Amino acid sequence: MNDYFSLLIECLPSLLAGLKITMIMAGASLILAFIVGLILAIFALSKIKILEIFYTAYVYIVRGIPVMIFGLFLFFGVGALLNIKFDPLLASIITLTINASAYLAEIFRGGIKAVDIGQIEAARSLGLGYFRTMALVVIPQAVKIMIPPIINQFITTLKDTSILSVISVRELTMNSQIIIARNYRPFEVYSYAAVMYLIVIVLLSILAKYVERSLQHGKNN
Amino acid sequence: MEKIIEVKNLFKSYGDLSVLKDISFSVEKGEVLCIIGPSGSGKSTLLRCLNRLEEIQSGDIEIFGTNLTKVKNINKFREKIGMVFQLFNLFPNYNVEKNIILAPVQLGILNKHQAAEKVGELLQKVGLEEKRNVYPDTLSGGQKQRIAIARALAMNPSIMLFDEPTSALDPEMVGEVLKVMRSLAESGMTMVVVTHEMNFAREVANRVIFMADGYIVEENKPDKIFTNPDNERTQAFLSSVLKPLDS
Repeated sequence: MNDYFSLLIECLPSLLAGLKITMIMAGASLILAFIVGLILAIFALSKIKILEIFYTAYVYIVRGIPVMIFGLFLFFGVGALLNIKFDPLLASIITLTINASAYLAEIFRGGIKAVDIGQIEAARSLGLGYFRTMALVVIPQAVKIMIPPIINQFITTLKDTSILSVISVRELTMNSQIIIARNYRPFEVYSYAAVMYLIVIVLLSILAKYVERSLQHGKNN
Repeated sequence: MEKIIEVKNLFKSYGDLSVLKDISFSVEKGEVLCIIGPSGSGKSTLLRCLNRLEEIQSGDIEIFGTNLTKVKNINKFREKIGMVFQLFNLFPNYNVEKNIILAPVQLGILNKHQAAEKVGELLQKVGLEEKRNVYPDTLSGGQKQRIAIARALAMNPSIMLFDEPTSALDPEMVGEVLKVMRSLAESGMTMVVVTHEMNFAREVANRVIFMADGYIVEENKPDKIFTNPDNERTQAFLSSVLKPLDS
């Protein structure tokens, strides 16, 4: 047991460095995916045929391709085709952004669609225009519906970062593998990594619950 | 009397399904018109055409002398036409006060100070002064509908449309909503009411329209319609809805 913890202390700097990269990957991808997802959701709700088709194709294609294949294809495939060497971190952020944006767009679109049509009719019948109706009535209610699935997506993307160890990003999983290659202690090192992921995700979930509760009734309005 | 709503030869369809056929009628200022008829007869659709929640395929709707289909700024137009829905449609993310003042304050009809006064006045009118700061999910159905009426009235409308306002209520709450509507009628509000409350139609309406299958089958004074309707379909409908349960 003593050995287990002394090994942990030995590995910790390298693991924490990996965790930092993991957090950067997840954080940057999710921020970008949030923006891209919002734009895509606006496409989906725009009632403009060409944008709707683009949206549908995007969502289908992205959802239909595993993250690992997408990452490998971008990093090795597109890299070879264009004869450039991608930065692995950049390639992984692009991969995760594209992946998460499709899911987030569906969450945004679904959240807005889930608001009762009667709410829109009531607002419009009072003389409120489309944008005021969206901003004051629909979106505040949609946000509440969206929060749990958004948090889920954050957690999924955070865990998906580990898949991109295949393109040699020095994140937590990759660093664990590097340590194991040196010390042949996979049981210990993988358990350290697992617990680190777990801690971050549990913290994120607690934060999510807190945000969800504070939005009850939209009391900040 | 001044005609405030005039509908001429209105047709409305969803694809191949035509739901309103050659509808013509008018409503005078201060009049209460009740529309009755079996489910699926097009009553609610007709009502929703009057503030353009539904678009029509042909015919004319003139409100305040303006052709509704040609109105460019429909939002401005809707400010003058209040609507009350079967399922209340209160905004669950706002408390009662904010539900009532949201639109008039946003649209610059009332300033914050006037709005606060107006809320007090309207809540008194619907008998719910103590509910000013609560959220809709704490209200009963009848209370929600009274707040919805107050919300529509806050815009100072010239016409009020009611789309089966008591159909989603428990029986013991119907009375409180009808009471508010009755006093609104007595105050001279022009009202078009789609309803299954035959007693309300009989006692409060100036005129009653009976609709079936997308047509206006009969239009008359309530006394005449309820005691001696001309049309067989009206007779059949009324005898089925007015028949005591034990017979």
